[in-house]
Order: sequence, then structure tokens, then C-alpha cells
Amino acid sequence: MRERERELAEKMSKKGKNSSRSAKLKRPATDTQAEEDEKFACFSEETSHVDEDSDLSDSEESVFSGLEDSGSDSDEESFPELELDSGEGSSREDEPDGGSGSEGGKVKKDLKKSKKKLQPKDIRNTVGNIPMEWYKDYPHIGYDLNGKKIFKPIRNKDELDEFLDKMENPDYWRTVHDKVTGSDIKLTDEQVQLVHRLQKGQFGDVNFNQYESAVDFFTHETMIHPVTNRPEDKRSFIPSLIEKEKVSKLVHAIKMGWIKPHRPKETVPQYYDLWAKEDSSAILGRHKMHVPAPKMKLPGHEESYNPPPEYLFSEEEKLAWEQQEPEERKLKFIPQKFSSLRTVPGFSRFIQDRFERCLDLYLCPRQRKMRVNVDPEDLIPKLPKPKDLQPFPTTLSLVYRGHTSLVRCISMSPSGQWLASGCDDCTVKLWEVSTARCLKTIKVEGAVKSIAWNPNPAFSLLAFSVEQNVILLNPFLGDKMVSSATDLLISSYVEPEEEKSQSVKWVSSEGEEFNQGFRITIRHPKPVKQVTWHGKGDYFASVLLDNGNMQVLIHQLSKRRSQCPFNKAKGLVQCVSFHPVRPFFFVATQRYVRVYNLIKQELTKKLVASCKWISSMDIHPGGDNIICGSYDSKLTWFDLDLSTKPYKVLRHHKKALRGVAFHKHYPLFASSSDDGSIIVCHGMVYNGGSENPEPCCWSFDAIHNVSIPHIAQGSVIL
Amino acid sequence: MDSLSRRQVRHLWRTQDGATPINSKTIGYDDNSQSHAHQLGRDDTERTASFIFVCRRGHMHLRATLTVHRGVFLAEVNRHMQRVKRYAVDDIPFSIPASSQTQDLSNVINKLLESKKDDHQHVEFDFLIREQFLRMSLGKHMETENISTEEVLEIEYIEKSIAPQPEECMMHDDWVSAVDATADWILSGSYDKTARIWTSEGKAVMTIGGHLDVVKDVAWVQRDGSSSLLLSASMDQTAVLWEWNSEKRKVKALHCCRGHSGSVESIAVDSSRTKEEDVAEEVSSSRSKKQKTEQCGLTRTPLMTLSGHNEAVSSVLWSDRQEVCSASWDHTIKVWDVETGSLKSTLTGSKVFNCISYSPLCRRLASGSVDRHIRLWDTRSKDGSLVQLSLTSHTGWVTAVKWSPTHPQQLVSGSLDNLVKLWDTRSCKAPLYDMSAHDDKVLCVDWTEQGLLLSGGADNKLYAFRYSSPPSDDGA
Repeated sequence: MRERERELAEKMSKKGKNSSRSAKLKRPATDTQAEEDEKFACFSEETSHVDEDSDLSDSEESVFSGLEDSGSDSDEESFPELELDSGEGSSREDEPDGGSGSEGGKVKKDLKKSKKKLQPKDIRNTVGNIPMEWYKDYPHIGYDLNGKKIFKPIRNKDELDEFLDKMENPDYWRTVHDKVTGSDIKLTDEQVQLVHRLQKGQFGDVNFNQYESAVDFFTHETMIHPVTNRPEDKRSFIPSLIEKEKVSKLVHAIKMGWIKPHRPKETVPQYYDLWAKEDSSAILGRHKMHVPAPKMKLPGHEESYNPPPEYLFSEEEKLAWEQQEPEERKLKFIPQKFSSLRTVPGFSRFIQDRFERCLDLYLCPRQRKMRVNVDPEDLIPKLPKPKDLQPFPTTLSLVYRGHTSLVRCISMSPSGQWLASGCDDCTVKLWEVSTARCLKTIKVEGAVKSIAWNPNPAFSLLAFSVEQNVILLNPFLGDKMVSSATDLLISSYVEPEEEKSQSVKWVSSEGEEFNQGFRITIRHPKPVKQVTWHGKGDYFASVLLDNGNMQVLIHQLSKRRSQCPFNKAKGLVQCVSFHPVRPFFFVATQRYVRVYNLIKQELTKKLVASCKWISSMDIHPGGDNIICGSYDSKLTWFDLDLSTKPYKVLRHHKKALRGVAFHKHYPLFASSSDDGSIIVCHGMVYNGGSENPEPCCWSFDAIHNVSIPHIAQGSVIL
Repeated sequence: MDSLSRRQVRHLWRTQDGATPINSKTIGYDDNSQSHAHQLGRDDTERTASFIFVCRRGHMHLRATLTVHRGVFLAEVNRHMQRVKRYAVDDIPFSIPASSQTQDLSNVINKLLESKKDDHQHVEFDFLIREQFLRMSLGKHMETENISTEEVLEIEYIEKSIAPQPEECMMHDDWVSAVDATADWILSGSYDKTARIWTSEGKAVMTIGGHLDVVKDVAWVQRDGSSSLLLSASMDQTAVLWEWNSEKRKVKALHCCRGHSGSVESIAVDSSRTKEEDVAEEVSSSRSKKQKTEQCGLTRTPLMTLSGHNEAVSSVLWSDRQEVCSASWDHTIKVWDVETGSLKSTLTGSKVFNCISYSPLCRRLASGSVDRHIRLWDTRSKDGSLVQLSLTSHTGWVTAVKWSPTHPQQLVSGSLDNLVKLWDTRSCKAPLYDMSAHDDKVLCVDWTEQGLLLSGGADNKLYAFRYSSPPSDDGA
């Protein structure tokens, strides 16, 4: 209530000021209004006085008495009465206002007249500044200028009178009791105004300008009429000795070279390095340690001014909300619906909301979440160093010189001592591996497409395909016992009684050919692409260049029998291979590798090579792993135990692969490609069946510029 | 020189100003009465730090004191009493810059010798620091060899060996697969299925035909006046003992040794010249290698078969009366006891061995591998896999190695890179000499006691080089 009143009062006073200002501009018209305003102000003052009266009565009194004192000090000859005195004061105060108004001017004149009339009635106590209690028991209160007693007012006011006076007298608030004369003095408007001004700390005199422009008397400018006319000192005309001394010192210093007078100015612009003292690590640290403030929850639909109806509370919900503890409430407010944004009132909980947010910010424990910093390199399985995977071929050691055309195929003898190579120059050459010495050259009638040494050391036989023939040759290398035993075995064949109708013809060599080493020629109806031996050396298979049914033939040496194992062509057969130990037969067509069980005569597995066209295939000596090379420069590794899909696909070559081979003992496999390189990879096959063909490869330049159709084991044996 | 009497070496480290010794300590005692050490008298004004070097052996030394002289590395060559009369120099210290090389040091010695003897002829010297040949500047050598400049150091010098001089070129009809030479005669085996005998001057004396296949190895067995026994091993699985009479110029096959199931690759005769041994490339499925020892008869069967190798045996030799070494493609060198036929020890390498050679002088085995290195082994070490030294310079397979019969540190090697290299084990980084006479693969080398180096190769030539091996420093 009280505050409201005060606010109101302030507003009013402001208004009043404004209006008074405006009154200055439009003087005559708004005079009355100004007066009214003043009344308002007075009214408000009054109320405030009424309130504070009880506390401030003493101080007020002293103020008023002080005022009176100052008044008594003033240099006017006579002060007829306090009333008049105050009147005079008011006239003085009035000057800015009153000067402006003609009405005010009249009042002033009137007051001056009354002052002259009332002059003899001057009652002033001459007792001086003594405690007035001393006159308590006397009927008078002191003496006037003429030495006559000043009597106290006849009727002493008691409390009741006082109260009645307070209640009834409208001027009570401006009535002051003069202790010296014992009379009550009613302050005039001007006096009241003066009191107000003093209370605000303003000058009592309205006309006094605190901020008058200063006059610089002792200015440096030469004036026509100077303040002083003192002639200048003599010393101002005489050169200074001290200066002379200083100059001579400087000159001496320059002569001695202590001071360089014309030092070239440093042209380097000097900038203030803002960040010079900044500790970089500190900045970084700060950036690192920065913990962002928790984010505020974004407002939802329930906070909307026009929420969907499902967000609005029903009566029960509202009741429940009100009965809940404030902490338990799901929502801190009741969703409200307004017809328009304009009707939304001010947010009453704003301060509280901000306060709670601040509390959240500085009370909530913030914690750095340590993220596990994992180098992605560490997650890659560690590959063994190539150094640890020795031995593997690293450099070109030997060149077997002698062929004059493309070398199509090579094959190592099972002992590793001899190498057979077939070439387009219609020769088969037999080499000593360790010295690259060509020991034998055998002429044939066509390009040698495929060559295979009988893997059984008990045989000394070499099979190679020339055009439509597969020729078995006794190379007469190595143990003579073995060679003769092989010859014996071949010659001991007895033609069976009934002639079997075979699609191929077995022909024994005679005469000159026999002396060269030729033993048996097997004539096929179509050109032969590939020959390969079974591990035991009795069976061998040949692949024909044919689209029909007869693409693959399996021959038995001891019985000189050939059979076509497949009735239907399942695609263009690229190459075939025997399982090293078990009775399996691998047939690679363009996209698939089929595994047949030779005993059960059935297809056991069909491996899907993820490549376009298989070019070559090799079986791991263990028998459970196959690698296939393809013309789309992929090498695929199959694990028969795992899946029919490739276990691994290596794309290291840039061009089509021509041949792939496993090493007999070492965990190595090699692939040759049209890009002129052979890549030797390390791929360990463990007994448990798992393997890791690691792509740690050693690539070395091609031995020949032409493609190498087949890599024999021997090329990686050393 | 007073330290001599005290038999103590005082090491003075002078300050940079050389004013006062700030640190004085004993760095070594001399326990050899023949040797001595002393502190070199240095000018105090010289800003040096001087070091003392002790000579432990009394002969043929350069003693070097290294000083740091205003940033220049100095070697103080200090000669002292030497037993070698020929090239002894006085014991006067003097300085040599650290940048000096073998040539400079050699000049210094020659100057000294000239000052001593008027009739001195210029001799090139080689310098050995801690049994290593000095091949670069002195300072660099010490840096690479990690020799501290504050330690006792000795420099030896030996007369520089003269490069092998090519002497003869013996033409064959086919590749030369093997060579063995005595003082007067050279025996060579060739791929044309013959063995040939030449005089040491390179004149063809005899061609021994009779083998059905390539002769892979030859060896002299013994010489008895004009008749000698010789052996040839061939790819036709036999080794034949021939008797050759040099006067009648007749050769007679005494025995044919059969029993191998593969080609006989290597043959070795023991020092008593009564037993022989040969090796076959293995063809049988048992994956064992055979080495056979024989004694006389017409057709001989093996006395003993030593089996244990997994791959072909490439080379055999007698390292002792009772000991046979065999090198194989299965990365091992096996040492066998001949008496019992049991395996004594196995040296395991990481690569295929092509050839081995044993020197009774230094009792070390040298092996040539397909990874271009020549490795030196100590057969006596029990754990077996100790490679003492690798000599690396070849760029192809090392097909043949042979120790010098007279010098304990020198050997000759032939390689598929057409080079024959002469090595000194004291300079393992680089060979002493390269002999690049061959146009094709070198297949065999030999070294006679008379200083004849022989090498045969796939260019059908057998080259002979005369190399006067300097007497080893110990004998000097």
C-alpha cells in the first residue's frame, strides 16, 4: 500500500516537473495548472511528513532553527517578524518564477510594503543562546531590544490542544514552535520551498548558477589590458647558463661518441604482440578442458501458447497436478491455451526459472568423459615382418637360356634337381636346376602347351601335350634304375583281349622316337590344353580344347585306359587337378570350381569363384586349400572346410593372372600375371585348418617379358 | 718415459688451454714384458689431449696416439723396437692427420725406411687395426669400428699383397664343372663328360673320357712318382678312380664306385689319401642323403652311407681324419663321425648351401650360399649355429669357395655373377681383389700351395691366376 502510494507520488511529481517544463514554454496559459501541480506536490510532501513526523521532529526542528539562524545572520538591518522574514525569503525564492509572472511581481510589492509597516513590532529575544529551560518557571521568556520582558503566550497548549490543533489546523504541518519567543510560526510557501531545496542538497538561492562559465584572468593570451603590467624579468633576455652547461655536455657526449645524434630510425614497424605472453599450452589446455554447459531442455508442445488439446490438462489432471509436490510434478506448469500470441501474459516465473538455471549451471557436477583413444592402426592385425618369413625368393638368380620362343610351361622333377620346360619353338628342354644347364632338348611336332613331371619318384616320366597328343617321355635323368624300371613297366603292358572302344588312342613309340625317350603317345580328337598327374603317378588327366562333352579325360597309365568322366559339359573347363591324397578331382570352369569324388562318382562341392574367368588353379599340398587365378587379375583362396565362397581375394596384380602355384613345403604361393610380375605371398595353412593368407608379398620383375603360363614349385624352392 | 719403470700408464687429460692437467688417471697396465707404454712428451702450450697406447706385442707395430689438436684428429705414429728386420722402423713419435688413408700411412713408413736405409725400395703397406684392414681414413675407420679414441690402440702394418696376375686360360669344350690342382698338374672336370689334366703352365696333357654323363667333380688322390691316382665323379651316378702315368701319358680306370642313386655331385679325399668320399644328388623317396666311403676293389660299393639330409647334398669335405662335413640344400651343414657313421653336429643356416671349404690353418669352415653371402663357421662350437663372419660382395649365388692352403685368413670364391673374389677375413666388407675374367657363371675355384688361383665356369674356360700371397703377419 505504502509503496504503491510512493510510486504514485513519484509519478505525479515527474508529471508535475514535465508540466512545469512545458509551462515554461507556454507561460500564461498554464500558470494555474502549475500551481495545481505544486499543490499536488505539497500534498504528497505532507503525507510523507505526516508519516515521518514522529521520528524526525527533532531534526526538523533543528533544520528550521538553523534556517532561522541563517536568516538572522543576513545583513538586513531589521527583522520585523518571522512571518515577514519568511515572506521576504519567499520573495527571493520566487524570483525565477515570480520574475516571470506579473502576478508574482505584485505579490512582491505587497510584501515589501507590509514589511515597512510591521517593522516596530519587532520582538526579538536578547537573552542569547541559552537553554530556554531557565525561563521555565517565569512568566516571561526573555527581553526584547528595548529591555522589556517578552511574555510567554498566555495560554499554554496542552497535549489535547496539540492534538486538536493537529487534527483541525490545515496549516499545522507548516507551523513551527519558536522556543525563543514561545510563539508558533506558520511557514510560508517560500520557506517551505527553501526547506525542500536544502533537503535535496540544492542551493537555497534559486538564482544561484553553480555552473557559470569561468573567466580565465591569467590567460596565456596577450591581452590588450593585461591583469598585471609587470615588465618581464631580465633573465628572460639573458641566455641560460644551466642550459648552456647542458648543451655543452651533450655536445661533448656526441663528440666522444657516447650519443649518436642521428641514429637511423628503426623502420621495422613495431606492433604490440597481443599474444606474446600467452602460454600456448594454457590455451590449448583450456580448450581441451572446456566442459560445455548442459543444454537446456528444448520447449515442447505443452509449452506452446496454443498446444494441441491432448496436452491440455483435464480437470482431474489439474487436480492431481495441484496435489502433487512441486518436485514430483512432471510438468512445472499447467499447459495453457491462448487464442493468440498477443494474449499471452508475461512469464511470471521468469526470475525463478533463470535462478534455477543458474543453480543448475554452478551446482551440477561436470565430468569429462574420457573417450578411449584407439589408433586405428593398432586394430589391424599385426603382419609378420617379411624378414621373419624367410626363406622366400627375393632376387633373380638364374636365367635358363636356350629357348627361342615363348616358354609356355615348366615343371619341376619331384627331386627338385631337374626342370622341364615346354616352348612354342616346338622343343621340350630339360635343365639342371642348380646350374641352369640345359641337359636335353627334345624336338616335338608342335608347340608344347602343358608339361607335367610324374610326381611319383619311382617313375621317370614326363607328360606333355603337343597339339592333339599327350606324350609320355622318359627323360633319363636321375637314377638309371628308376628310368629302366619305368621303361620296363611301360613295355610290360599286355594288350587286353577285347578291344575297348575309346575316344583316344594309345600309341607306343618305336625306333628313333623311342631312343629319344618317347614312350607313349595318346592321340586325342581335339587339341589338349593341359595335362596333370595324380599324386601316385598312375593316373593323369588331360583337358581338351572343346565345347562338347569330352572336355576332360582321365587316363590310367598302367592299364592304358582313358575315360571321360563327365557326360554333360558344365561349362568351358579351364583346368583340372587331382587332390594330392584323397580321391577328389577339381575341375575349374570359367566361374566355378567343381570338386568331384572319383570313387562315389558325384559332385561334392561347387566353389563359387568371385571372378569372371578362372585361368589357373593349384591345390595346396595339404589338400584343403585351393588358389585360383583369374583373367580379371584376382587371386582367390578357397578353404574347402569353410565355405564355397572365397576365403580371401587378393587383387595385387594389375593384369590378368596366368598361373598360380603353392610351394611344396613353405607357406608360400606365387602368382604370375600379364603385367610382367610374379607376386609371392605368404599364406600359412595350419593343421587345424585355419590359414591366413597374408598379403605380405614380394614382387619381383618378370623373368620373361611374355606371360608365364605356369609356375612350377621349383621357382620358389630356393 | 719414466712411466716405463713404473709399468703404469698415466693418462693426462689436459685442459683446453693446456695449462694444468686437471685429470690424471691410470688407464692400463702392461703385463707383457716385451711391450711398454709411455706418456708422450707433449708441449704444454699445445692445446691437446693426449692418449697413451700400449703395444702388447713386440713386433711390427705402429703405435698410434691420437690427439685432438684444434679439431684435427691426429694419429701419433710411434714405432718402436721391432723384430722384423726388413721393415723395422725407429721408435719416434710423430703426428698424422686423422684424414690420412692407407696410402698416406704407407708413405710415412716408406719415408722412415728410406731415411734408415738408402737402398730401400718403395713398398706398399696395408694397415691393420684390431685385425681389421684399414680401408678408409683413420678417423672414419675408428668411428665405424666404434674404437674409442681414449683406448689403447695398435696399428699393425703388413706388406701389401700384389693383385693376382692372370696367367693361363685353358679352353674346354664345355662348361668347366670342377677343378683340382696339385703343384704340377691341374685336373679339371667338364660338362663334356670328360676330365682333363693340364700342366700348371696350362698345357693340355690328357683327356680322360669314359664317363657316361657330365663330370661333376674331380680330385687328386695321391701322387707316387710318375703315376698318380685321381678321382672323378659324374652325373652317371658313379665315381671312377683312375690311375694316370704322367710319363706314359696313359690313364687307366682302376675302380668304378657305384651305389649312388643320383648324380655324384661332390667328391673329397681325406688327408691320408686313402679314403674317398662322394656325394649324390638324391632321387630316392626316402629323402636321405648318402655319402659313401670306399676302399679299393674293382667295382666298389659304399663302405658307409651317411643319411640324414632332407635335400640334395651339394658339397662334402674331410675336416679331419675322422670327420666329414657335408653341406646340403636343406640349409644345414652336418658334421659326421666317420668311425661310427653318426652325426656329430649340425650347423643350421637360413639358405641353401652350395659349397663349403675347410681351412686347417684357421680351423674354420667357409660356406657359399644362394643368398650371395659367404659365411664362416666354427665347426668345433657345440651349439652349431654360429656364424662368425659374413663376407658379402657377390651379387649372385656363391658356387665355390676355397680357403688358401697357406694363409689362414684368405679365401677365394666364385659366383654366378661371373666374378671370382679374393677375400681376407680381416676385411669382411670388401674383397681384396675381384677377378672378372669369366664371361659366364663361375662354377669352381681352387687354390694351390704354389699360389695359383684357378677358376672354371660356364664360359668353357679355366682361368689361372698367380697370386703371391703375402706371408701372414704372424710369420713375418
